[in-house]
Amino acid sequence: MADTARSAPSPPPRTAEISTLSFALIISVPVLIFLLVVVAYPLAYAFYLSFHEIRFFGGYSATWNGLANYSKVFSDQSFWSSLGRTLRFTVETVILTLAVGLGLALILKHLPAKWRWLRALIILPWAVSPYGAGIFFTYLGRGQTGIGTAVAGWFGSDHTVNLISARFVVEYLAVGAAWNMAPLVAFFLLANMLTTPARLYDLAKIDQMSRLETFWHVTLPPLRFTLFVFSCITTVLAMKTFDYIFTATQGGPGGASAVLTYTLYKISFVNLDLGYGAAMSFFLLAVILGATGLLYLLWGRKEERQ
Amino acid sequence: MTGRNTKTLWLALAVAVALLWTFLPMYWVVKYAFMTKTEIARFPPMLYPPDPMLASFFNIFGFDYTTAEGTVFKASGQARQIILGLRNSLIVALVVTAITTLVVVPLSYVFARLQFPFKGKLLAAILLSVSLPPVSTLIPFYTLYVQLGLTGTLFGLIVVTLTITIPIVAWMLIGFFRNLPPVELLARVDGFSRLYTLTRIIVPMARSGIMVAAVIAFLFSWNEYVYAQILVTGSNAVTLPAAMSGFLFQVPEPAQLAASLLLSLLPPFCIAFFLQKHIAEMHIA
Repeated sequence: MADTARSAPSPPPRTAEISTLSFALIISVPVLIFLLVVVAYPLAYAFYLSFHEIRFFGGYSATWNGLANYSKVFSDQSFWSSLGRTLRFTVETVILTLAVGLGLALILKHLPAKWRWLRALIILPWAVSPYGAGIFFTYLGRGQTGIGTAVAGWFGSDHTVNLISARFVVEYLAVGAAWNMAPLVAFFLLANMLTTPARLYDLAKIDQMSRLETFWHVTLPPLRFTLFVFSCITTVLAMKTFDYIFTATQGGPGGASAVLTYTLYKISFVNLDLGYGAAMSFFLLAVILGATGLLYLLWGRKEERQ
Repeated sequence: MTGRNTKTLWLALAVAVALLWTFLPMYWVVKYAFMTKTEIARFPPMLYPPDPMLASFFNIFGFDYTTAEGTVFKASGQARQIILGLRNSLIVALVVTAITTLVVVPLSYVFARLQFPFKGKLLAAILLSVSLPPVSTLIPFYTLYVQLGLTGTLFGLIVVTLTITIPIVAWMLIGFFRNLPPVELLARVDGFSRLYTLTRIIVPMARSGIMVAAVIAFLFSWNEYVYAQILVTGSNAVTLPAAMSGFLFQVPEPAQLAASLLLSLLPPFCIAFFLQKHIAEMHIA
């Protein structure tokens, strides 16, 4: 390391080499300080809020109330039902996103050369903001303006067909979320598929594998790690999502799509119960981390070992 | 021969379904941009604009529009917000993209390729920040911004947007750098410094990955709505999604909403077109 200081006559001085640690530190410390601020500050502040009762009426006041906010979460019926909706929405979104992504990738892979430009169209939904996707799916599903009523109209019916019903609104929203996310999954899967040697497909033919067997034993195995990564990404995004549901249904009809993020928004920004909202947001964070951790334990570890 | 024909037929059918899936939700709303209020309110809903017109596109920019028959469509009262929003969204997205790329490329390189103490813990901190839901970080940011006078400023919005883009782009790029061939030792033997290795060897090798990262940063910033809605709505720093929400919530104006939404989709669409060419080259994840 200190070779620049060695005996004369020396060759043209090389750039002084620094150690791995200091190089890593120089590059990453400014960013890490920034991240520390942006991660630690909100966390610490929310942590502080969660032990207080915040009041705005009659002047701002924060009163220490210990674990009261946390224990209130456990007995809050709306917390449990929102959590249920979040889990239902997340599981459905992840499964649909991966399935649609895989389907699109298979279609794109089989496109003949002169149809390749279609790839550029299929990716478009991914570029739409969750906010925009919410607007699209609210008009598409609503009884007054939606596709359901239009289709019923073709068959001479004048019924209103509402796809955003209290019963199936979560499923409908999951379809919209999958519409938004699946193209990205499809493109990463496609990139993976194109690296699978064609030789393997020839071998599968020699072995007289059926189409399903070929898919299962040749096409799928190299994709499994990508599928795992995207199941994690989609899980986190689905649990975090707020703007999409806010523009699509505003938690409705009648609270049927009030997922945890939406309930949190109402508690904190409509009811201005900041302490309680902060306490509940830690439950959401725990659920997100728990779900990704569980995915890793059940699936990711297995994929990494191979 | 017939076997091949049926295969083509199935493929064509699958492509048709995929295109319908892709475009139906967009088309259903975008068609409003070319329709009048009465046409939109018709029951059952109309499948296409019977008499397409561009009035909404003039209205959202603050111009009245007179049809050939003499009907006048009044300029929107939100035009100023839309124009400001368009400008601000562009500024924020470009600045955020530049900073994110400059910061994240060296950072993810270091995390992907070098061994140093506390690496695992620091990586966990980055991943944790990806998992933080914006709804729960909003309150702390809001109170901080009120105290610092940063609500309604572009600077404040840029900082808060960086908190979204940096972790997620770092997450994607670390995986990408990990898969590059190990050239550092060779570069070292040739007497290159670390900085030289990074800027002259690694960065050119990783060009497609870095471009994808930049594009993703742009998209996340351009599409950001939650923070913008709380921090800059109604101010001079309003962004396009926050400006548009006036057409959705206050006085619903589907035609003008659709026109501004279509406008807001154009940059992401150009980017997505560019991106799909490059994703095939980077085998990350």
